[in-house]
Amino acid sequence: MSEGDVSEAKPRPFNQRVLLVGLVVVAPLVAVLTMNLGRNPHVIASPLVGRAAPDFGLRPTGGSEPVTLASLRGRPVVLNFWATWCVPCFEEHALLVSAARALGARAHFIGVIYQDGEDEVRAFLARQGSAYPSLVDPGSRTAIAFGIFGVPETFFIDAEGRIAAKHVGPLDASSLEAKLRLSGLAP
Amino acid sequence: MRHPGASLRRTPCLALIAATAWLGAPLAIPQEPSAGGEPSRVVGPPRGSALAGEALTARAEEVAGLLRCPVCQGLSVADSPATMAVNMKAQVKDLLARGYDQEQILVYFEHSYGEFVRLEPPLRGVNWLVWLGPVMALAAGAAVVAWTLRSRRRAAEEPLAPLPGPDTLPDDPKLARHVRRVRELAYGWPHGRPPESSS
Repeated sequence: MSEGDVSEAKPRPFNQRVLLVGLVVVAPLVAVLTMNLGRNPHVIASPLVGRAAPDFGLRPTGGSEPVTLASLRGRPVVLNFWATWCVPCFEEHALLVSAARALGARAHFIGVIYQDGEDEVRAFLARQGSAYPSLVDPGSRTAIAFGIFGVPETFFIDAEGRIAAKHVGPLDASSLEAKLRLSGLAP
Repeated sequence: MRHPGASLRRTPCLALIAATAWLGAPLAIPQEPSAGGEPSRVVGPPRGSALAGEALTARAEEVAGLLRCPVCQGLSVADSPATMAVNMKAQVKDLLARGYDQEQILVYFEHSYGEFVRLEPPLRGVNWLVWLGPVMALAAGAAVVAWTLRSRRRAAEEPLAPLPGPDTLPDDPKLARHVRRVRELAYGWPHGRPPESSS
């Protein structure tokens, strides 16, 4: 004979402990994800900014006497890594040439060729105009020392040889001006 | 004269500084003014022995395997066919031939590219989380499973509360009276008491 169902259906209370553990696990993840939402994962901050620039001694296209960074001390240096096969480099070329002409002796502009042939570079400069030397970088040793990820990348080095700023991608007039000012060039 | 409590109050402050220094350890690569395109200016004179021949080629492959190719994400310098990776591998080989050891070479590349260039994050600062996080999560999961199993087993071993028998009555005297009455009517027990207990 059945005694009948005597078990009571107890309503389960909202489990606060599970909620707390869930929050402890999820909250840091959400925080990390939201903090990095605005970050471009392809732009990695250079550890060289604020430090002394790696020295180099490279010969310019069509020349034999090497240009060393040490010999450029005393004036800000705009060091532009570029290649003729790189479309953004082509886009910023005219700006760099006109800035180099306008600033004259107040700053040094130097190009460093990144994985490109010397003949191609000379033909490009003859066609597009040039106002400063472009240096040949055998084995990309200087590009590696500056931590180049791709071209164009431009370093702004102050008169004491410290890297004041780095620009990834093509320069425009306003970013060029802002970064020249960071490297100690009075407006 | 200094207050005697001053040194005590400074202790947590020192601990904080120590913790900050520990977390700041990724910056512990040679600082200025040693930066330079010449590796010896970054990592000092070679610490290992100069390699040559097949040993050099094999070691270059190993060390290049620890470096991330900067132009192709997710590939090591040893595995990437990109010109930049080929150039970096050539420099690794060159440095090994000049007697630089593995750590010096990694630090040299790290000096210009940052920690990004190491395929394996070194054990320092917040990187400990990357290495220990999964182990800690696994341990925490195992602890939860063990705790659940133990509490379940304990619940199974616990003696069940005795079922109410025919002579069990509620504590409430009014309710007990009603139960007795129901038993009297339903089973014909005098005064609601089971026959054997009534005798």
